[in-house]
Amino acid sequence: MSAPTGTAAPVLTAQGLQRRFGGIMAVADVSFEIWPNEILGLIGPNGAGKSTIFNLLSGFYRPHNGRLRFFGEDITGRTPSQISRKGLVRTFQHDSLLRDMSVYDNILVATVSTVRDRQARHRRVEETADLLGLTDVLAELARNLPHGHQRMLGVAIALATRPKLLCLDECLTGLNLTEVGRALEIIRQIREEFGIAILFVEHNMRAVMQICDRIVVLHHGLLLAEGTPEEVSRDPKVLEAYLGSKR
Amino acid sequence: MPRNSVGMLVAALAALAVLGYTRFGAGDFGASVIMLICVNALAAASLRFVMLVGELNVATAAFYGIGAYVSAIATVWYGLPLPVALIAAGLAGALVSVLFGYVTLRTKGAYFLLVSFAFAEVARLVFTRIDAIGANSGMTGIFPAEPLALWYPTITVVVAMALLAGLYGLERSTLGTVFRAIQNNDSVVQSVGLNVLVVKILCLAVASFVAGVGGALHAHANNVISPGDFSFLVAVFALAYVKIGGEGHILGAVMGAVFLTVLGQYLISLGAQEAIFFGGALVLAMLILPDGLYGIAERLTRPLLRALDRTPPEDSVKRSTAA
Amino acid sequence: MELAAQLLINTLQIGVVYVLFSLGLTIIFGVMKIVNFAHGEFFAVAALLMAVLVNTAADEFGLPLWVGYAGGFVGAVIAVLVLGLIVYRPAFERYLRDLVGSFILSVGLLLLLQGILLEVFGGVPRVVPRMGDNTISILGGRITELRLAVSLIALAIMLLAYLLIQRTRLGMALRAMSEDHEAAMLQGIRYRRIALYGFLIGSVLAATAGALIAPLTAITPAIGGDYLVKAFIIVIVGGLGSITGAISAGFLIALIESIGGFFLDPSLTTVALFMLVIIFLVLRPQGIMGHAEK
Repeated sequence: MSAPTGTAAPVLTAQGLQRRFGGIMAVADVSFEIWPNEILGLIGPNGAGKSTIFNLLSGFYRPHNGRLRFFGEDITGRTPSQISRKGLVRTFQHDSLLRDMSVYDNILVATVSTVRDRQARHRRVEETADLLGLTDVLAELARNLPHGHQRMLGVAIALATRPKLLCLDECLTGLNLTEVGRALEIIRQIREEFGIAILFVEHNMRAVMQICDRIVVLHHGLLLAEGTPEEVSRDPKVLEAYLGSKR
Repeated sequence: MPRNSVGMLVAALAALAVLGYTRFGAGDFGASVIMLICVNALAAASLRFVMLVGELNVATAAFYGIGAYVSAIATVWYGLPLPVALIAAGLAGALVSVLFGYVTLRTKGAYFLLVSFAFAEVARLVFTRIDAIGANSGMTGIFPAEPLALWYPTITVVVAMALLAGLYGLERSTLGTVFRAIQNNDSVVQSVGLNVLVVKILCLAVASFVAGVGGALHAHANNVISPGDFSFLVAVFALAYVKIGGEGHILGAVMGAVFLTVLGQYLISLGAQEAIFFGGALVLAMLILPDGLYGIAERLTRPLLRALDRTPPEDSVKRSTAA
Repeated sequence: MELAAQLLINTLQIGVVYVLFSLGLTIIFGVMKIVNFAHGEFFAVAALLMAVLVNTAADEFGLPLWVGYAGGFVGAVIAVLVLGLIVYRPAFERYLRDLVGSFILSVGLLLLLQGILLEVFGGVPRVVPRMGDNTISILGGRITELRLAVSLIALAIMLLAYLLIQRTRLGMALRAMSEDHEAAMLQGIRYRRIALYGFLIGSVLAATAGALIAPLTAITPAIGGDYLVKAFIIVIVGGLGSITGAISAGFLIALIESIGGFFLDPSLTTVALFMLVIIFLVLRPQGIMGHAEK
């Protein structure tokens, strides 16, 4: 478990992020930090701006205002592949896989930019698949996998790059209770084994409360609250935003 | 025996048979048809290669034409040996394609289709405007050097086979896997640290090298070239070979080229209009032959292959291009 | 000043035909998400029929020219409508939303139709007997009555098309389909029915362009080709599927062409236009008005 310390430098610093679409301010002015080895949850009602934040961090959108720093380095405006190579890798909520390719190939593609050697790539694929429970389905086509496996494959693809910051975009959607439990276990394992930080966007409140060290709450493109799960779940502003419900 | 080895053995035997026939068995006409098949197969394979990244590249026609003209210049103006002319043609095609691709591969789908079409037509227009290369009348007297003349058809076949093998090898390599990944979902590919634009340009460059050499071979087989030979129809015919032969495998492109070239020769000898023939063939193929000849062949030989098969089926373009 | 007026008048004349033609292409793309390479052949069919019908009306039946013109126009458009109906069901409907498949199909159709047209009509250029040859002067620029009439009629058709798209229920359905076909279907819009209408409207627009250009130039079966390339450039610049884009880009291209045609020669202008497209793609891959391709 890690709490923010004064001495360690943040993995990611987002400052004053802003992004408009036409007349709508999807993200108005958002600042937060992600600290080494922590699991930070990003939650908020639908339309709060979570996906936009994700796209801003990973370079798929350019912020209209604000700065992004990754391990101190300014990555504002960099392309997705550049940001990924620095170690910030994301999954996708929809359309997250290479559907007509095998599980093996899905993960293999992710190793290309970080591993040179053919043997080493093969090993990385096998290790990653093993961690995510996909070893038995390596030869299957991604589109034929049951939903739970598909979600894990999405995580495997990102993990295969051995990122320094893993950004998970609603990776628990559609999973049943058992699968969620397993997934959370795997995420904890990932954090232990690789010592990385994780940004966790989710709707499943119980899961968020269980696994996150800290939570950031977004609403109407602004930061509503920030703190430990305990603090956030008691924050009246948060409760109001969710109409008093914590699922 | 694993399926791979059987396939390779069959291919090797077939290759030897074709080479032998070309050099010793075929008459002048037969050799010219074989050469036509070879250049058509190269155009088809080049087009198909770019389809691996999910784009329909009508500009194949332009790179084919550029290769033809560059090789003609090398041979006719400078008297350079054939290998030099061929390589120069390939490099010219590749180089121009890199410039073209750098700008246009930022677009996808319909936009890329249209702009590549426009490029093909503009290239043809440019050919007609340059007097030094004969403008509308084109260039003549493009002959391989004397000692090679008898062997030229065989050389054409060898070069074609080598290029096709090269394309196939790349397609099956990790690079080929990345190509197919781009076709599947280029956002995911970007998210794992690969510069999609650069990879697409690389794919285009390789394909355009092949197209350029194809054009050069065409120039030396035909001995005359003119801008009219290099309209967007080159790409359309290439696409016909790929579609009718079957997109799933590079051999499909070859089979399509063989089938349609031979059929075309026959119909032309009957006086039919080439355009109607190709047009009708394309329309028919789209309506009744979705998997092409390769698909049919695959279905027919499946029982045989199952008996020999002990390895799991490998991925192919077909899976990636399945709707 | 006179030069400017003349260039603008030329732009108008050239532009209206380009716009009608490109509008058809872009509407078809918007609804069906396919590029119809045979679009130029519908244009050519209309132009050829116009020539044939006007000539027949004048020679065989001795009718006054304007009757020939009117009848020819109607006849050409109806013929293309029928042709569109014939090819839609067995062919295009099977390849809705399939870019590659429809490309091959439409090119096949292009070759087939062009070959047939060549067989039926022959390669000799046909001319429509002219009327309205008097030249009018507008602000110092000169234009014949015929060309002015053609331009005005074309503008009227453009306006009709625009109103159809923006103000009628059919137009709304077309736009909905163009924007998000799944959402549209959830709203109860019948996709195949609307796609058919979109295809027919697009093809009729091509036909009107062909019928209108017929009196102004010599017509051969190959006339579709040139216009097709220009139309591609127009819809790339204007944005595939965008009505306003097709209109603005159409006139823009016409403007460049009339300026270019004045100082350079035609094939160089096409090259110049292509360069324009390239620049556009570098700066704005989705065109003036279009949305980024998925």
